Amino acid sequence: MITAVALAGYAALVGAALPPLLARAGWAHRTPAVAVLAWQGLMLTFVVAASLAVYHLVFAGEHAHGGLIGLLAVCGLAQGAPSHAPAAGDAFVLAAPVVVLVLPVGWLVRCALRARRARQRQLDMLALVGEPAPEYGATVVDHGAPAVYCLPGRSSRVVVTRGALDVLSDAELRAVLEHERAHITGRHHVLHLVVDAFSRAFPGLPLARHVKGQTVLLLEMVADDRALRSHSRDALATAMCEVAGGRVPRVALGADGGGSGALLRLHRVLTPQPRPHWTAWLGIVTATVAAPLLPLLLVCGP
Amino acid sequence: MRQLGELEAEIMHRLWAWGRPATARDVLTDINKQRPLAYSTVKTVADILHHKGMLTRHKEGRAWVYTPTCTRQQYTASLMQEALGSNPDPVGALVSFVERITPEETNALRAALRAAKRRNDA
Repeated sequence: MITAVALAGYAALVGAALPPLLARAGWAHRTPAVAVLAWQGLMLTFVVAASLAVYHLVFAGEHAHGGLIGLLAVCGLAQGAPSHAPAAGDAFVLAAPVVVLVLPVGWLVRCALRARRARQRQLDMLALVGEPAPEYGATVVDHGAPAVYCLPGRSSRVVVTRGALDVLSDAELRAVLEHERAHITGRHHVLHLVVDAFSRAFPGLPLARHVKGQTVLLLEMVADDRALRSHSRDALATAMCEVAGGRVPRVALGADGGGSGALLRLHRVLTPQPRPHWTAWLGIVTATVAAPLLPLLLVCGP
Repeated sequence: MRQLGELEAEIMHRLWAWGRPATARDVLTDINKQRPLAYSTVKTVADILHHKGMLTRHKEGRAWVYTPTCTRQQYTASLMQEALGSNPDPVGALVSFVERITPEETNALRAALRAAKRRNDA
């Protein structure tokens, strides 16, 4: 029972207490890739801790370690299952913690399928009205409002509107295209899917509320940094203003951040960011890797 | 499958460019100027476009005459609306360069850029 309480406390720490702190952490915007990793670590840790806590609550009678092996045996993961192989009644008990695992995975599959359908539809429509521009490695759409976006995935594509070509100089356009290609090569859409699925699986959880907006913003920063490797700060910042300013504002926008993200990015692009000391970097990565393992040690340890 | 999509595009491009209703035979004659293609292929794809709601058709004599249901501009506008419209659903389908922002935020963005440029010039 004490184990269950400890695990629940750990899940609450990761799911509710830490997210607001990480969202405000100053270092996050200086090393966005590490911050993305930290958010992924929090999600994994929450799922591991919460499912083990639930498991211990419903399985209080049984010895924890034997129970876990039983769980793995049910999944066919552990050879040489314990002598008291799980009976049919155990299967019901096991269902509760498994739900905590299945819920986000189920949402992930659903979101992935929906995104793929939407992408396919975009590709079909682009086949009719998009003109390939091989000199930019992009598809041009004859539309007045400046916009640039990418369709990630197997048949990935960067789409630029005629309006964007009109307002952007050649250097600015190339900086934007580099930014979009960074999304594609970095497979950022997979991370978008993961945070979307997580926030749908656990609505109301502070971690779920923060992780989506933060990850999307941090991935934009990763792509900005990538573009800045080969393009000037001025070109990327100007492009940001031109494209953002020429768009129709989104009305009735919910709590998902809005334009403050663009302003944060602009300031960040304009002023070089000091990189955190490598020990800080190492500390964050170590904590991220250790955090999901801790509850397992608690359960399986002596 | 991909080739079917390309032929759909070829047919739509011609009908949009001509700006008048046309038969599958008209389209075929134009395509045949560049490459040989069977009449039945064009007819099939035109019917697919009809079922997709891209074309309407009515009979004139013995032939079906096809008309685009929307202009190229309208179709492009609906593409952009789906891609970047007020409800960018579903997440992960595409990644936009910058999100939609309000005019006030645009002004703040431009002010920040101007301030930075002044700093650099000074």
